Amino acid sequence: MKFTRLTAFPAWEPSHKLLFIMRITALFLLFVSLHVSLWAFSQTSISLSVKKQPLAAVLTLIERKSDYRFLYQETSVFSRKEISLKVQNASLDYVLSLILEGTGLGYTINDNHLVVIGEKETAVALPADWIMGVVKNERGEPLSNVSVLIKGTARGTQTDERGRFRIQAAENDSLEFSYIGFETQSVKARSSLDIILRSASQQINDVVVVGYSDKKKSELTSAVTVVTAEKLKDVTTNDIGSMLQGKVAGLQVVNSSGAPGAAAEIRLRGISSVNASQSPLIVVDGIIGGNYDPNDVETVTVLKDAGATAMYGSQANAGVIIITTKKAAAGKTRFEAKITTGFRTPDFGKMKMMSGSQLYEHQKEYYRDYIPANTDNSYKIDLLQFIAERPRTLRSQNYNWLTDMFRHAPMTNFYFTASGRTDKNDYYLGLTYYNEKGSFLNTDYQRINLRANSTHHFSPLISLSNNINMSGTTGKSYDYNDVYYAYLNMPWDNPYDSAGKPVYVDGNSTFKWWSRDKVNPIHTIANSNHPYKNFDVNYDLDFNAGITSWLSFSSTNRLAAAYFKSSTYYSPLAAGQYNGTGYLSELSTLNYGYISNDLLKFNFQLGEHRISGLAGIAFEGSHTELTGASGKGLPVGLQVLNVVSNSQVVSGSNDAAMMQSYISQLNYSFRDRYFLTGSYRVDGSSAFPSAHRYASFPSISAAWLASKESFLADNRTISNLKLRLSYGVTGSQDIGSSRYLGLYSLSSQYNSLVAAVPSQLASPNLTWESKYQWNAGVDIGLFRRIDLTVDVYNNVTRNLLLQVSQPLSVGFEQRWENTGQIVNNGVELGLSTANIVTRDFTWKTDFNISFNTNKLRQFPATNINTQSTWSISQIYREKGNLYEFYMPKWLGVDRQTGAPLWEEITKDAQGGIVYRQATSNYDSATYQEVGSPLPKYQGGITNTFRYKGLTLSVNAYFLYGNKIFSNSLRFVENDGSEPYYNQAVLPKGYNIWTKPGDVATEPSPQNAANSTQTSSRYLKDGSFLSIRNVALFYELPPAFLKRLGVSGVTIGVAADNVYTFTKFFGQDPQATITPGVYVMPGVSDFKYPNNRQYLFNIDFRF
Amino acid sequence: MPIALKYYTMNRINTLLLWIALPLLLSITGCVKDVNPSDAITTANLTTTSDGLINAVNGAYALLKDHVEFAGSTDENNMYLRQYFQCADFASDDIVCGQTTTDPLFYSFSLGHTATQTNMRYFWYISYKIINDVNTVIEAVEKLSNPDAASRQLLGECYFLRALTHFSLVKFYAMPYTTAPSGAGIILRTSSTDPALKARSSVQEVYQSVIGDAEKGAALMNAPRGAMYASKEAAWALLSRAFLYEDNKDSTIYYSSQVINSGRFTLSTAASYPSLFANAAAAPETIFCVAFTTTEDYGKFGSIASMIYSNGNSGWGEEYASQSLRDTMSAHPEDVRWSYIVPNTVGGVVQKKNGIEMYYISKFSGQGGSPTLSSPILFRLAEMYLNRAEAEAKAGQTGPALSDVDMIRTNRGLAGSLYNGQTPSGQTALDVVLKERRIELAFEGHRSFDVYRNKLSMNRTYWGYHLPGLKESDIDLSVQPSGYANMIISPDNPKIIYYIPIDEIETNSLCTQNN
Repeated sequence: MKFTRLTAFPAWEPSHKLLFIMRITALFLLFVSLHVSLWAFSQTSISLSVKKQPLAAVLTLIERKSDYRFLYQETSVFSRKEISLKVQNASLDYVLSLILEGTGLGYTINDNHLVVIGEKETAVALPADWIMGVVKNERGEPLSNVSVLIKGTARGTQTDERGRFRIQAAENDSLEFSYIGFETQSVKARSSLDIILRSASQQINDVVVVGYSDKKKSELTSAVTVVTAEKLKDVTTNDIGSMLQGKVAGLQVVNSSGAPGAAAEIRLRGISSVNASQSPLIVVDGIIGGNYDPNDVETVTVLKDAGATAMYGSQANAGVIIITTKKAAAGKTRFEAKITTGFRTPDFGKMKMMSGSQLYEHQKEYYRDYIPANTDNSYKIDLLQFIAERPRTLRSQNYNWLTDMFRHAPMTNFYFTASGRTDKNDYYLGLTYYNEKGSFLNTDYQRINLRANSTHHFSPLISLSNNINMSGTTGKSYDYNDVYYAYLNMPWDNPYDSAGKPVYVDGNSTFKWWSRDKVNPIHTIANSNHPYKNFDVNYDLDFNAGITSWLSFSSTNRLAAAYFKSSTYYSPLAAGQYNGTGYLSELSTLNYGYISNDLLKFNFQLGEHRISGLAGIAFEGSHTELTGASGKGLPVGLQVLNVVSNSQVVSGSNDAAMMQSYISQLNYSFRDRYFLTGSYRVDGSSAFPSAHRYASFPSISAAWLASKESFLADNRTISNLKLRLSYGVTGSQDIGSSRYLGLYSLSSQYNSLVAAVPSQLASPNLTWESKYQWNAGVDIGLFRRIDLTVDVYNNVTRNLLLQVSQPLSVGFEQRWENTGQIVNNGVELGLSTANIVTRDFTWKTDFNISFNTNKLRQFPATNINTQSTWSISQIYREKGNLYEFYMPKWLGVDRQTGAPLWEEITKDAQGGIVYRQATSNYDSATYQEVGSPLPKYQGGITNTFRYKGLTLSVNAYFLYGNKIFSNSLRFVENDGSEPYYNQAVLPKGYNIWTKPGDVATEPSPQNAANSTQTSSRYLKDGSFLSIRNVALFYELPPAFLKRLGVSGVTIGVAADNVYTFTKFFGQDPQATITPGVYVMPGVSDFKYPNNRQYLFNIDFRF
Repeated sequence: MPIALKYYTMNRINTLLLWIALPLLLSITGCVKDVNPSDAITTANLTTTSDGLINAVNGAYALLKDHVEFAGSTDENNMYLRQYFQCADFASDDIVCGQTTTDPLFYSFSLGHTATQTNMRYFWYISYKIINDVNTVIEAVEKLSNPDAASRQLLGECYFLRALTHFSLVKFYAMPYTTAPSGAGIILRTSSTDPALKARSSVQEVYQSVIGDAEKGAALMNAPRGAMYASKEAAWALLSRAFLYEDNKDSTIYYSSQVINSGRFTLSTAASYPSLFANAAAAPETIFCVAFTTTEDYGKFGSIASMIYSNGNSGWGEEYASQSLRDTMSAHPEDVRWSYIVPNTVGGVVQKKNGIEMYYISKFSGQGGSPTLSSPILFRLAEMYLNRAEAEAKAGQTGPALSDVDMIRTNRGLAGSLYNGQTPSGQTALDVVLKERRIELAFEGHRSFDVYRNKLSMNRTYWGYHLPGLKESDIDLSVQPSGYANMIISPDNPKIIYYIPIDEIETNSLCTQNN
């Protein structure tokens, strides 16, 4: 039985002139085995003491004392020449120069410590069956380290740094050239070959990084989407999430905030958990978690089904996003510098606030002569009284708070990289500086990121990588109230005094200030600050060693530490509660942790069977330490805790989490067309009590690459056809530590003494939440132009880690339990087409769409989650939807009275509906289910046009069928209930009731009791289509650049968030879908608006 | 032997083995451990240490003033005592609303109550958290074979707190005892092992439990810890109030007298009364107050004072002493109780907010000089005189009743205007007592209960934003408003109490909702 290890063969140095002592083929074999055997820890110095020894013997001696081996043709000089020498810690070069002196021989030291000795300056006469050639890319740049293999044999070589190779092959042999990121090419052997490898973006032979191992795309058995850096470069941001928006089927990306540095929310294939984390697991360079800069990202791989994600079992319930950072590219040292600069403007969406004159006209409605109980109403506007209270001059008083507080803001991104590869070392250095000014006053974000990846190859089988990523962030955040007043302060109030300074307003101010609360947010911002700082370091140490030709060991390890500090500062000069005292609060968070994956991997072939797999362990731990302090009584101008003189408060706590995992996977393939993968993982988490700590996560997946079958092999229509099926289980434990304990919190005090408050009910049997996933998919390639991927899935999350509502009268809101199920069913479609491909012009389209339904099952009881501030409820019940809004249904306005109407449902004893009627009495209105913020379908489309060096790409993202509660309308469409808030201009089709008989959407301001209470009045359709990005790039002609000594220059302009088509009335249909403090999924409140962004960028490569 | 392995020297094999063995070793030794929270203690550990029990009792008091996380957020609007005072007095005729607001406190003015209004959901929740806390302590201490005086004191405080909390609940969520003693009360929780689903007890049953707990507490508490903690007298004061609400005259008189005669407390004088509330913990009149320290000065967004007082920056200052109350007091400008009604004036002119005159209320301000800090008083001696006076008046003992009222008036700067045993013409002794009670205990969470338990109507015929649809331009302070709904609220109006929170109704199928 013969096993052959399938790796590319090492390069050798064909450019030097050599002599060979034996038959070339024999040499080749020797070469291979030597290569394999010689490795690390080379002795750089030689100590030698010989007297009158023949040259051959001396060389043998050196071989024995060092890692070097000598290769030479045994001529007489080697036996005749006698050497006498005594050296201590000398270099090999020095020793060889001494012993070969006068022989006319030269030498070359190969990368594997093979020293070839031959005649100086004499060409090697190659036998006729040697083939030479050069491999280049499409730009004509030589490619090094390209694997050159004689098909059907194990013989091969690699190209050198100038792209050259030579190999001994017979006339009929077929040579296969392969290199990561390029299409593999097979060529019949000729004496001289010039090969151009085409870069492969959507190639099925791409290597895809999946769980703990790499696979060829053709071998994949699971639903995986790969997004290359090429497809991410159109959008410039510091967050990879927003770059992915609209580019991956099944991935929902919500940019719910436009604050500088804000990260998008990402959900994969719907939402499969209620209380556990719903963000996909991020894996950076093979290790869970981690920090990275978007500029350093080479590829993003999204693992969607359990066939792939079960390998990350414990934490993969919400899918897995694998980030692979850039490594050294082959060939010469490369540099790249990219500068992006431009500006951003706020996008206020469809909610236009009134101008001074609009508000003036609107307020006349408040002066209509109508008292609901009276019979002598005239329904006329009492203009005399109105003008008495609202002087006409107000019409021209038009201060725009929004444009005063949100401005054009510059942003700059600078990225520099250097990378290179030698025989022994790869290195990559990436340096990013990102600076974003906020469009809102006194907000910004700056980040410096440094990534250094280096790999040392002790031998082709043994390598050690050190990757380090350091980032430092500073920024300024904002206070919600300041944004709130930016919208709600009235245009009749001037924020500035005659000198142009923000005017000071407080409750005692005697000048006329129309706005409801006597607050000037511009003055507040000028006298407050919300800075934060962050420092983050990751260090990865990866060790890979081949043990035998089919077995290797891989250890990947990370140490990570991060420090985050945020402050809130109010000067004593700021109006409001800190006036005269000032206030400073600082909070620091230290996170640190480790993670280690240690795996034995095997890979061998037995005829047409190939088996690979891995087994090993992983363990991780993380710690969090919080420290905070605050106080009042600061002198004006200082903002440090040392000068705080009273009301000091301190806080601090810490937390830890540990996990331990046993991992295994087996891959089997037959004839490269039948694939089977099984994995089994056992995880233990400190989040659960010891008896319920471990759970196992199996998966199995299979694929059939039908297009390789004989009946399709030469089919002109179908270039690729693959069927996939997978089933597996993943888990979730991400709910925080100690959720199973009955607890009293000690963080309170009474009368300055420690106080213990009941904080958690015990749940001693708490254990893992598990998601059972089916996926079936098909990949179809047509005419080599169209790639279609369709997946259907059925995901059932069981034993939900659920905060089950308790009757409040037990003294607790909820208890953690494993109960209930969520079912997500869906269909995903990804379509890439090359619509037009000519030499100069191409047009490509990437389109994806995904449909998802979400149902709750086996819910223990109806859970109603009623948000604290605005009493907006969502209901969780058997057969219901996740996040289903639960509130009275708005029926419009009573035609006779102008009063608001809600639906009242009368039910019989069995719960059957007897009748429905309209009521103007809010508290008799019936709470009912009125929709969910989860979309019915969503997707994206990207069109890319290239004409010669010019590329235009247009990217759109759409979402349909989601309901968003537009909570801001409670204030800006308030029927006069709070007359001193500015109002939104009513969109087309909205009108106010003025007299009996009116068909109106807005109640009479005189008869609007409870009209702003939570109801479906403010629940809006959140569907939208957004032109996410338009980018135009021009690649300067290579001929022109050659003269400058630059290998590539790209200049471009781009616009982000160009336009959103939506009927949504409110600030922005992109409302958060993450439950959290003060926020409920699908509720849109006053927020930092998203920004339009206009950028210019230039990219140099040299 | 695999091909490649022979090329490894022994040395290198060892290195490789070390690489493989080290993580295995680490993995075994560093395996997953229990993580205990750094700032919490398990219930089991808490109840087995005396420190733990003291901490738990402190916790029950702390819940009265903490902002506890509720419905996913820690909202500064949510504080037990803030809801306690607002939801009682904003529904009365003592405080007028100067501005509509989306804060649910507005529903106390407008009677637009809902089962989802967060202030009363939170109040219900924290009440039962206090009860759960003290039940745990009660059960732990009662397991001790021979508890010392300190433990008995703690136990007594727990009984007191359970009685007080149940009593407050039944006041807010059930119709008055005097109206419907057998009507639905609230859910009684007297054991930590009760089933989670439980029906409401009748109002009468709740009163029985409250009185039983308070009596037990009074018997146990013999080691007083100061006015910031419960004491025997505080339990008597609670009994005095509960019996008054039950209209049990003898017991009211008995327990009021017990407190008055205990000798521990004296009435503030006309001179010291204006500083009573800013110095509640040290004042000789205070029977029981909740201690707020400077770290619990919650400022504009979280303090009790914020809605009813402002120095311009310290609060919202949107609700004011009503014209009705001011009219009641107007005959006696020398009454020192005016000191807690602070007009916001510019050049001697009282300012208006949206047409409503701004008379700030300062009973929750002034501790340590802060406009937003006080240690709210829940029981003080003056109430004992007034409880007794009311019971006496109802029992026909006019003389003692008026004498108790005069005792108050003497100490409030009205020594020249005493009744001296004579009811003014056209008034009963009860009228006199209730008027005095209204003025003396204004803004302290009594008024609406006093009106409705005496089966009287609340008359809010004055300008304010409790009138539905009112616009500033409608206000004419020279006349009374007319034609608006919500001006006279009769004692049988279901909106004189609040809805049981939706959270309870939806999870506890045995619990019924109010009409």
